[in-house]
Amino acid sequence: MPFLRKAFPYLAIALGLASLAWAVSFGTLPKADFTFDNGNEIRTADPSKATGQPENRVINALFEGLLRSLPDEGWERKYGPGENVPMTPQGAMAESFDVSEDGRVYTFHMRKGAQWSNGDPVTAVDFAWSWRRMLHPETASEYAYQLYYLVGAEGYNTAVVQEGGLVEVELDGTRRDKLQAFPRGTIVRGKVLTITKPPEPPELAKDSKANAEAKSKAEATWKESWVYEVEVASVEPSAEDPDPKQISTGGKIVCCIDPAKAKSVDAGSLVKILHILPDFEETVGVKAESPEKLVVTLKSRTAYFDELVAFYPLYPVNRKCVEEHGSPNWTKPENLVCNGPYTMQFRRIRDRIRLVKNPKYWDEQQVQLQVIDAMAVKSETTTLNMYLNDQIDWATQLPPPMIPKLKQIMPKEFPSAPMLTVYLYRVNVTKPGLDNAKVRRALNLAIDKKNICEIITRAGEVPATSVVPPGLAGYTPPPGTQYDPKLASKLLEEAGFPSGRGLPPIEIVYNELDAHRTIAERIQQMWRENLGIGVQLRGVEWGTYLDLQNKLDYHVARAGWIADYPDPNTFLDMWTSSSQQNQTGWKNKDFDALIEKAGTEPDRKKRMELLRDAEAILIEESPILPIYWYVSKNLVKPHVKGWFLNSQDTHPLTLLRVDHENSPIGSAGP
Amino acid sequence: MKGLLAPLIILAKRAAWTLLTLWLVYTISFALMWSVPGGPFKSEKKIPEAIKRNIEAKFHFNDPVWKQYLDYMWDICHFDFRASFKLEDFTVNEVISQGFPVSASLGIFALLFALLFGTTAGVISASRRNSVIDVAFMGLATIGIAIPNFVLAGISIIVVVFWLHLLPASGWGTIQQILLPALCLSAPFAAYIARLTRAGMLEVLNLDYIRTAYAKGLLPRNVVIRHALRGALLPVVSYLGPATAGILTGSLVVERLFNIPGSGSHFIEAALGQDYTLEMGMVLVYTLLLSVMNTLVDFSYAVIDPRVKLE
Repeated sequence: MPFLRKAFPYLAIALGLASLAWAVSFGTLPKADFTFDNGNEIRTADPSKATGQPENRVINALFEGLLRSLPDEGWERKYGPGENVPMTPQGAMAESFDVSEDGRVYTFHMRKGAQWSNGDPVTAVDFAWSWRRMLHPETASEYAYQLYYLVGAEGYNTAVVQEGGLVEVELDGTRRDKLQAFPRGTIVRGKVLTITKPPEPPELAKDSKANAEAKSKAEATWKESWVYEVEVASVEPSAEDPDPKQISTGGKIVCCIDPAKAKSVDAGSLVKILHILPDFEETVGVKAESPEKLVVTLKSRTAYFDELVAFYPLYPVNRKCVEEHGSPNWTKPENLVCNGPYTMQFRRIRDRIRLVKNPKYWDEQQVQLQVIDAMAVKSETTTLNMYLNDQIDWATQLPPPMIPKLKQIMPKEFPSAPMLTVYLYRVNVTKPGLDNAKVRRALNLAIDKKNICEIITRAGEVPATSVVPPGLAGYTPPPGTQYDPKLASKLLEEAGFPSGRGLPPIEIVYNELDAHRTIAERIQQMWRENLGIGVQLRGVEWGTYLDLQNKLDYHVARAGWIADYPDPNTFLDMWTSSSQQNQTGWKNKDFDALIEKAGTEPDRKKRMELLRDAEAILIEESPILPIYWYVSKNLVKPHVKGWFLNSQDTHPLTLLRVDHENSPIGSAGP
Repeated sequence: MKGLLAPLIILAKRAAWTLLTLWLVYTISFALMWSVPGGPFKSEKKIPEAIKRNIEAKFHFNDPVWKQYLDYMWDICHFDFRASFKLEDFTVNEVISQGFPVSASLGIFALLFALLFGTTAGVISASRRNSVIDVAFMGLATIGIAIPNFVLAGISIIVVVFWLHLLPASGWGTIQQILLPALCLSAPFAAYIARLTRAGMLEVLNLDYIRTAYAKGLLPRNVVIRHALRGALLPVVSYLGPATAGILTGSLVVERLFNIPGSGSHFIEAALGQDYTLEMGMVLVYTLLLSVMNTLVDFSYAVIDPRVKLE
């Protein structure tokens, strides 16, 4: 002890110095050529699993689809700095594509010389495999519905199997890793002869009072106890199970996902399986006819399919890389094999992703920036600090209260234009009072949207007169609605609620954020003053907010919708009776019919007219109240060239250049 | 032998208490996560049931609650905190191992700043008692304790970054980027240490052995640094335990403001974003860390001061 006591001060100092040295050793990073704030930390870099804007930017740097969205040649001369530049899908991994007469079959001709970052060629097989992985139920891709346009894709994704159908069965216990769907275990392909189902659970009975969630849960559990008799056509053994016993081509297997629950059959003789899915090769409309030729068959004509192909969920992933490292380990910088203009040098969680130019990229000569940092910045204020302090060249998120001022003091660095995004209120039409279309229209007409845009949001947002945002080529919206409190109160009276008397109280639900609350408060005030309606506000946490809408347990709820592809359909088909995103309880046969008809209409002009008629119904019926259309808000340093505005607020990194010499003097920082 | 055995027994006791605390923290956190409405797998776009089941199966959400509770505990006992809910490309272990070195590095700087500035100011104040310097330092210290670090961070960003253009506003990776957050983080602790040192010094400076030292004709500087400081620092050392804990928790806010990718940022984002597994990992690691720090300080206290006996 005494020795220790004497040595203590020196030990403490030594310890302090050592830890200081260690802390300093984190060293300095060489500066990137271009740095931008990418908003939140991305959830994943896996194109088949990601959703969201930050993910979009990173994945577009790392991967490339059959087509890519770019502006047409000569755009820099044609469009001014304040204008939206239209982007079109252009040849990328596929050099070109043909569409059949009926618009259902797309044939993509792969680009010769396109390579993965490990040197392997990118082929049609890669796409067929990547889409299969995306549709596999275990991949649990949220964007899988982007492939539902393909024949059989939805059935594969949701595992719909019928008697007489061709199936692929994955045997239990034959995988390398139980938790990895790829590489797959032993696959038995064949035809379903019979399906034996135990009695239906009580939740599924017609008069059952169980809610939708409990119902679908009970149904899924029930399906796991179904027993399938399958005639075996072929067996594809896995590496772990090279010689599958008892199973022979031409024979039969009787199988079940959960043999313990299959009461009717002797559980001992059942083959336990992981999945029974429709046979991908036979039922889903994607086929690599040769490494150079990918044939895609759609359910019906889809005018915007080329746009979907150029959107990141349909980008390919490298099979070798995914199967070797497994998910999510294959996305680690040291493992990642990609095919886009950049590769990932390192990724520091909630700090940055460093991208370096991919020398194997086919269009490598066009890529100007060598090193790019995509910073994960949570706070908008921090983003602004970093921009003003020259730490980033492009800011994608700004603190809302600062926006009017920023617009004013640095107009040259604040390009802004309307976007394909709408802020709206859902109305639950199953609630008494709100089931009346006149009441809903009255609610819509009683909102002074201009006032909201000018006093609250203040970034140049456009008051929404209809649902579909402006700026979509070839689309003329139906006549919209204007603020009209007199007509609104007249409609309310016609509906039997003069001055709001007799109307049950309305509650506005929003996810708890200042911006949403302020708008809800203003609308609360407008409805009270213009219609005499009592309105309550309820700010809830995100999960609850989604849950309430899911269960139709609300009166009015805020929502936003960003275009998945630049076409009016993305804002309209979500309100059909069968849509998962509807969540208003509103069902209209005429509307459904028009949307369906528009989907198969080959003539572009006629198609747009059908969509316009559908939107007119939506406005007339008002199950949703559109409030405003967003504008893009970015800060871009003057030395950044090749950055342009567009209606989806996506900015290809491949077109960017940095030119410090030819930037206007005095506008940059010190 | 007896002298060595006592600390070991105490250590064992402490370890047992730590384990009990961890278990309690785990149980409470688990219960809280279970009771939150909505659940973590909600998104605006609805997903088919078959797919939802697969996600739930991956995180064992379809098991009975008691089984989830035990299985999860079993994994944690093996230091496997499972995959992060929201950072899908990482396991919780990876997030923690990336975040903690950053926070530790920030914490070390903050602690060293606190000690350096705190003791210096305290010694000067005590030796120039009631002078202008003393009043100024102690006034500063009072302000330092009173101002929350997020206010201080905001002010210092405006002054140091935007007016003086001395340091970058945020981020991580260079020494310049560490300085400002470390200073902001250390301020209240430096202030407290300054007051402790001053009080300790004043007490010691009145003692007989100091008077003797002066009487022997030693230089005042030597008396203060060699003889008085050693005695005066004891309260400071005992404060190091709470200070470390404070710096660890204080860094949650500072890391967020300066956009530092440390465990503090992960802690907050996990809580706000319903990343249950990551939050569980963070809470448990913080609990463990605080417990270990307190034990260490108690032991070092016994080492420095012979009057203290471990019991």
